[in-house]
Amino acid sequence: MGDTWPLQTTAKSPNDPLFVGVGELPSGRYPDRNFIGDLTHVGLHALADAGMKPRDVDTILLIPCLHSAVDQADLIFSRMAEELGLIGHLKASFMVHSGGSTSDNAVRLASGLIASGHARTVLVLNCERWGSANVNEMVTMLSKYGIPNEWEMPTGLQFNAIGALIQRRYMHATQSTPADMASVCVTLRNWAQLNPNAMYHGKPLTVEKVLASKVVAEPLHALECPMLADGAVAFVMTSAENARSRGLDVAVRVAGSGGCVSHYSIGQEPDLAVLGWATAAKRAYEQSGWGPKDAQIAEIYDTYAAVTAAAVEGLGFCAPGDGARWFASGAADPGGKLPCNTNGGMLSAGHTGVGGGTALLVEGVRQLLWRAGPQRQVGGVQRCIVGGTGGSYMDAQVLLLERSAPGGR
Amino acid sequence: MANVIRDEFRAGLARGELLLQKCNDCGRLNMYPRHACPHCQSLSLGWHKSAGRGVLHSFTVLRAGAPEGFESELPYAVGIVKLEEGVQLLARLAPEADGDWQGYRCDDRVEFRPASAEHVAQRPCAWFARAND
Repeated sequence: MGDTWPLQTTAKSPNDPLFVGVGELPSGRYPDRNFIGDLTHVGLHALADAGMKPRDVDTILLIPCLHSAVDQADLIFSRMAEELGLIGHLKASFMVHSGGSTSDNAVRLASGLIASGHARTVLVLNCERWGSANVNEMVTMLSKYGIPNEWEMPTGLQFNAIGALIQRRYMHATQSTPADMASVCVTLRNWAQLNPNAMYHGKPLTVEKVLASKVVAEPLHALECPMLADGAVAFVMTSAENARSRGLDVAVRVAGSGGCVSHYSIGQEPDLAVLGWATAAKRAYEQSGWGPKDAQIAEIYDTYAAVTAAAVEGLGFCAPGDGARWFASGAADPGGKLPCNTNGGMLSAGHTGVGGGTALLVEGVRQLLWRAGPQRQVGGVQRCIVGGTGGSYMDAQVLLLERSAPGGR
Repeated sequence: MANVIRDEFRAGLARGELLLQKCNDCGRLNMYPRHACPHCQSLSLGWHKSAGRGVLHSFTVLRAGAPEGFESELPYAVGIVKLEEGVQLLARLAPEADGDWQGYRCDDRVEFRPASAEHVAQRPCAWFARAND
């Protein structure tokens, strides 16, 4: 088999895993909301979207929270089974964790459970409370996670510095200008104006404003760094057979996935301007038979402009080195030739930790279900490319999603 | 928690040496140092003193948001150095004479700058500066 992984199900397989519903609460600062309350409500939203009740779920996967180890323990130890009334009914409840790329891996896991028969319907839940957490505590935590304690922590590295190292190399290698980089942030902000759930809805941004903001980690300006936010998202996956028997006529299938773990320590990444995107994309395209021109939208992890610019190059949306200029051209904007991060992304919808990538995934599914609302729904979208990455951008993960009709045409 | 590899690396820094792990079986260098050779899985691992020369792959000057314990050091610079020996590491960068780092560029040649044993005890990481040529 070598470096190929043929998908074991097709759109016609009864055990083909499908997304059938999504839920989301607004992102931003919501000190009056409650962690378990948000998880419960967003889960019910996603189930209602799928035409389901909690009793239709047999497996719950939890996306981790990072604001509190105690709250995270509630995710690990099946609290949501009690909260949703599933004691004695649920087969399994457990957390999946690879930082920012967790949602991609949760989809792979849920798909495998469904395709193999270990689960029929999986509910995936996320809530993060970063927006209401103590900022200094979160900064300190983020200078310890994904950074080797023996070798890099003594330098004083932290998360913005990691983004800055990537952005500096990216700008050097591609000769992208500060304005090119800022334009990525502006594209995301343009999308956020169409998303009432986005943290920066109603707050437009310009390249000039980005470049006039304080430099926090050269070459990054404050407005190029993600703002920590509260948020909650959820999605439901089930088998094609089950979707069909429930009378669902629209769903989203996983046409393929690919990944590449390119480093653990940022100091061991061979090329910060490239990361693992091209390798991950090649694996995903090979599994699905897709190419970069087959999708109408993309939803790509975007904590820093250079990460996303490198991703669109690796995914083949533009020539190598042209990622930031591609954004500057308006290609990814509302009305552009390949709309990207249609919820505003993490830089403008809000950085909800591990949930930020989950929110992008959920937005891709929502667009493919044609449920993104009149303002930002991309007309006739059939295929979406989702990109995720975790830790110090240790991995590049690619999911290829397509609209499907489980009831047959 | 015992960590002999870390302690030996840091003892080297305190002596003014940048040590690279070297596999006694396959002879390859490992950075960061590992608990088994990632190339041949040998458990027989020793050290090689680096010549301390390399190029700067990337760097940043942190001006706000230092982790707890680093606040008083702001601003400071960190960079990724690709050593002539073929391995790489994250290091702190010495400021230039004016106290800033504005002369640094990606792909600049850089050299290891030994720090005092006292400094290494407080901040056990390697320091580099632009090469004088």
